[in-house]
Amino acid sequence: MEEKVCTMQDLGPGDMIERTFSGKSIIICRSDQGIYAFLNRCPHQGALLSKGKIGGSPAATKNPGEYCFQREGEILRCPWHGREFDITDGGNTLTPDRSKLKEFMIKIEGEDVIVSTERKKSKAAQA
Amino acid sequence: MKEFDGKTCRLIDADIHEKVTYADLLPYLGQPWKRYIADANWVQEKHMPYTQPAVAGVNRADAMLPDGRDAGSDLPFMREQLLDACGHDIGILTGALDPSPSSMHGWYEMAATLATAYNDWQIEHWLEKEERLYGSIHIAAQDPKTAVEEIERIGGHPKMLQVLLPIDDIAWGDPMYHPIYEAAEKHDLVIGMHHNEPPVQFGKWPRYFIEWHALIPTSHMIQVTNMILNGVFEKYPKLKVMMIEGGFTYVPFLMKKLDQQYKDLRHEVPWVTKMPSETIKNHFCFTTQPLEEMTKREWNNLVEQMGTDDIIVFSTDYPHWDYDSPEQALPNGLSEEVRHKIMVENALRFYPKLKRRDM
Repeated sequence: MEEKVCTMQDLGPGDMIERTFSGKSIIICRSDQGIYAFLNRCPHQGALLSKGKIGGSPAATKNPGEYCFQREGEILRCPWHGREFDITDGGNTLTPDRSKLKEFMIKIEGEDVIVSTERKKSKAAQA
Repeated sequence: MKEFDGKTCRLIDADIHEKVTYADLLPYLGQPWKRYIADANWVQEKHMPYTQPAVAGVNRADAMLPDGRDAGSDLPFMREQLLDACGHDIGILTGALDPSPSSMHGWYEMAATLATAYNDWQIEHWLEKEERLYGSIHIAAQDPKTAVEEIERIGGHPKMLQVLLPIDDIAWGDPMYHPIYEAAEKHDLVIGMHHNEPPVQFGKWPRYFIEWHALIPTSHMIQVTNMILNGVFEKYPKLKVMMIEGGFTYVPFLMKKLDQQYKDLRHEVPWVTKMPSETIKNHFCFTTQPLEEMTKREWNNLVEQMGTDDIIVFSTDYPHWDYDSPEQALPNGLSEEVRHKIMVENALRFYPKLKRRDM
């Protein structure tokens, strides 16, 4: 199943919009690198991720007290507990645990953003 | 008083924070207190040196009102987002005056006045407007005389279930606070203890919020220990204490440790006549949130070490960032019977003012 959910004009880098796909609430997220679709549900306790925020995050460092903020527009934080998910990396968390977002395959045809039921296996479609 | 059927009741939530500002309390204050606040534009003392806990500070990002008002400040919104959405039968308000009147380190007269105003405001704006909500009595516990007067004034209200004591830098088992427990027991009120600012790290804030939040249970352990070893429960055998927002996973350790210490050091506290673990089972309950993610097996191991799951009571902590979902927070695979105990039965049995129809 494939379905157009929005156009590229509907969101810029760092934006997130909520859509319905195959009866499910999903979020479309855009970074400078690409555009991505995830189930609108945090794998922890089920919060609606569309109420969260996309931003950056301090990079891992060997130096206590050092903050290197980076990756603006690529990290989605849950609206409840603030967990960080990397939208450019399949929705994996930034911690070593194994939880991740459920991701959908997405492709761009002209200006149309099309989501399919297949889970994404390759790199995001290039914006 | 409304009675509850333990079988059909589905959810009792022991920790919901309604938000109040000093400005909200002005209509409930007489002079000179009103002008001290209004003339000086005095707002709550906020000490937390962190803004980063979650997307929207210490609140759920989706709990802020669409018009920008604080999370927890509007009853219709709370109804829609929490009480109706989750199917609450009972929600217990635990306040967020920040700081609690009992945590004000000076000017106890103002603290006592604010507590009285808070209680009146809570009754009028929440308890009388929403059948499902029950309340907590705020006092200025650092001044036990006025605290007892406030419990006497408001303790008979049918929807006031407990007297709230903050957990910060005062250990409440000291005999100077015992009149508070006598008054609570007299009015069938539980003592609810909830941490305030900043109860860990020797009364100071640690360098990072994650340290503070991870170590909150240590502050709860201090209070449980202090209450038991000061003989509060030998003195007030009907008194119950609800430990709110420290979780329960520290309890097995504390039971074991206190029993061991008591066997060796009873002579120092000869007024303590019962094994501490038994006192915990008979006088305390512990709210679940913030519940660590765990398997059914891990849950059962903890319960086995405690020897009971009668002292675990569900709570959400709405609208705070570390909210626990009634549907998602407990481990998968717990039986319906166990879930019902945690969600309903234990709280219904614990709070004397929650009357059961089927008892």
